[in-house]
Amino acid sequence: MNRRFLVGLLLFWSLGPLLWQVYTSFCSDQALIQPFSSIDHRWTLAHYQNVLTANPPFWRYLVNSLFVGVSSTFLCLMLALPAAYALNRIPSKLSMLSRLALVGAALFPYVLLFLALLETARVLNLGNQLLALSLPYAALSQPLAILLLNSAFSDLPPELEDAARLEGLSLFQRFRWILIPLISPATASTAILVFLFSWNEYPIALTWISDSNKLTLPVAMARIAGSSIYSVPYGAYAAATVLGSIPLILLVLIFQKPIVSGLTSGAVKG
Amino acid sequence: MTLQIQNLGRRVGQQWLVRHLNLQVDNGECVALVGPSGCGKSTTLRLIAGLDPVSEGEIILDQATVTHATAAQRAVGMVFQSYALLPHLSVFANLELGLRVRGVRPIDRQKRIQAMLELVQLHDRADVLPAKLSGGQRQRVALARALLRDPDVYLLDEPMSNLDAQLREELRPELRRLVLDRQKPVIHVTHDQHEAMAIADRIAVLHSGRIQQVATPSELYHHPETLFIAKFIGRPQINCLRPMNDVITAVRPESLFFANEGLPCKLISREWLGSSQLLYLDSPEGSLGLACSTALDIPESLHVSWHRSDEHHFDAETGRRL
Repeated sequence: MNRRFLVGLLLFWSLGPLLWQVYTSFCSDQALIQPFSSIDHRWTLAHYQNVLTANPPFWRYLVNSLFVGVSSTFLCLMLALPAAYALNRIPSKLSMLSRLALVGAALFPYVLLFLALLETARVLNLGNQLLALSLPYAALSQPLAILLLNSAFSDLPPELEDAARLEGLSLFQRFRWILIPLISPATASTAILVFLFSWNEYPIALTWISDSNKLTLPVAMARIAGSSIYSVPYGAYAAATVLGSIPLILLVLIFQKPIVSGLTSGAVKG
Repeated sequence: MTLQIQNLGRRVGQQWLVRHLNLQVDNGECVALVGPSGCGKSTTLRLIAGLDPVSEGEIILDQATVTHATAAQRAVGMVFQSYALLPHLSVFANLELGLRVRGVRPIDRQKRIQAMLELVQLHDRADVLPAKLSGGQRQRVALARALLRDPDVYLLDEPMSNLDAQLREELRPELRRLVLDRQKPVIHVTHDQHEAMAIADRIAVLHSGRIQQVATPSELYHHPETLFIAKFIGRPQINCLRPMNDVITAVRPESLFFANEGLPCKLISREWLGSSQLLYLDSPEGSLGLACSTALDIPESLHVSWHRSDEHHFDAETGRRL
């Protein structure tokens, strides 16, 4: 009984704001202002209609974010997988130092980099290019990705690779046939974390992209929230938030199992 | 086909893991590497397999020096203690991977794997994942993989240590049939001296990265070169009497017998071994073990004796046989 109560409390604590946002997105403006009086037209889809038919339509931002998310994740994994593997193969002292440096980099508040990044983007002419956004995103996710994947690599019994070497498999073949399939749960959870970071990232997206056709979700949502100085469009904002969360929720639901098994890998010897 | 290692050594940092190893394994001969854990058995095997770099010395396979060849270039078939089967691939796919990489045609792969599965009696388990197999079956798959390599030399790294005692005994004849009868050099690493004595033609005893003696099981048992070997080979362990004038006298428990006069002893405890029994005795020379038939009655006043010819003498300082 006690336990159920605590679980309920926890669910309310974490899901409450989300559900409130869903509720808000379906309420008419009048209902939002007068929540306790009886109104004829309490429920409405107008906010969704407005958001989806605006110029540019909201789905464009979804596509933009999806594009940046996928390219960042891909780039990040392409670099982090070999790096994480190599970290297990270099001398232990060097490996420990590298790991320490990676933890330091993972803890570094990246907002402090953003002026330098902005300058870089200006010099290299990277502004207003969606694909270019994946460069800082992949780089900033690198430390965490390498650390997570490295622990997955070190959990693999070394004999598997030894046996494969004796069979004549090259480094690339071992990677392709043995290592990548065996650490796929960790890869999936890492991919989700990198994707989440790029999906939610605000300051860099705000400063690198100004073309309203190329905005990513967080910036686009912030624009909706600040579109008028006289009122706050709660309903439209809530509808945008709900639409922006759906892909993430789907992603996590689909990959639920690998995420959990990947994040806890190494915690206990299997 | 002969495997020869000459003055082989491997150093990591300033420390030599193994050094000055000399060994020759002839065609169809099985040499067991035994020794306590950390003595360098597995390191030696990895050097021969080409998995670790050699720091000094030579490895010669059939008159060709392969010291610095890669693992793939040497035709070695290795079986690991942990089986090292790929958990995400079926038995068939596990066996196929190496053949495919070595460029065997699909139709030949199919044929050879089928034949091999028949040989190890696993033809009905081809599509099963390794997790669904028992320990003995997994080890047979690992053996099959090594056999498919058609190697010039077989390296077995504690292949049966993960199996229970009964299964080990069942697998021994299997191992003999599959590997030892192939007329290739075989090196078998084990920490189980019974297994070594049962399987190997000769045994090499390693201690702290050096080979102490290479000899037949009976030679090792009856004429151990060092005190370490005398203690390591033979269970129950050899009895060491108090050193006198820097000489340690050692006598096997089965060489001791009751006598009317001799070393006066007190019975401490008794272990029932089925066909025999082991008595733990306390004597002025220290504690002794005595193995004898269960039919034997234990006399009231215990006096223990042995023949002079059964004594082994070792230098107390160097441990060398005198």
